[in-house]
Amino acid sequence: MALFRYGRDLDPSNALSRLQQDLERTFDSPFGHGLGLLGRGVHPAINIFKSGEDVVLRIEVPGFAPGDLAITSQGQTLTVSGKPAEQTQASGSYHRRERASGVFSRSIQLPREVDPARAAAQCKNGVLTLRVPAREEIKPRQISITGG
Amino acid sequence: MTNIEVAHERAKQPNPEQNTRPGRSYPPNVDILETEQGLRLWADLPGVDQSSIDVELVDDVITIRGRVSTGEYESLQPVYTEYNVGNYEARFRLSSTIDGARISAKLANGVLELELPKVAAAKPRKIEIH
Repeated sequence: MALFRYGRDLDPSNALSRLQQDLERTFDSPFGHGLGLLGRGVHPAINIFKSGEDVVLRIEVPGFAPGDLAITSQGQTLTVSGKPAEQTQASGSYHRRERASGVFSRSIQLPREVDPARAAAQCKNGVLTLRVPAREEIKPRQISITGG
Repeated sequence: MTNIEVAHERAKQPNPEQNTRPGRSYPPNVDILETEQGLRLWADLPGVDQSSIDVELVDDVITIRGRVSTGEYESLQPVYTEYNVGNYEARFRLSSTIDGARISAKLANGVLELELPKVAAAKPRKIEIH
């Protein structure tokens, strides 16, 4: 049994370490000057990715069922809001209360290259994933030439 | 824009303990409610599915471990991040008033909920006066 391995790419279990390093290389403004989010440090936390020409948002919304969330688009602005299902309050005292809860609304201004109206959303295990596809007109296309 | 009261700044600091698994782990945000019947504990484990979670009781220490999958991040290049992802790990020492044999757990929408019933003797009991 080999106790040492050379070359971290040989070890697929290092995928998490690599992902964590990648996520640490962040930028203050996701899409350049004047675009982006309305505030860092507010709930819920958002990560933004590029996937080819598409923009992908991953938002941590633990405790929210898909039916508790609403996503609207207006122009280049995408708004995600959530309203937790009514919970019956048990009487007792809290020893710890760290989880964010309650109604939220967060907006993000997206670059012109993507089309928020065609965004697709999936919510799984408390993570909301939004894929905003690139506009067709920005994709490269072949212009046919007619002879005259 | 936000209209939520956040209980505390989401201080996602990695667990201080060293471990032999690759990657950092984070302590989940937790609520603990004590009622007459026992304790209820909720832990936020976004991104963890039921097959990737372990709840273990050894002596009087309950350990919660959740593994996140990195598969969904393939082909994604981060451009802006507000949170890091990692496995979750937390430990809680239970008092002797909790009945370890009757602890139950369920996971829904990335939240683990534990029911920790008190042993019968620990429940407040009204003494009838005759």
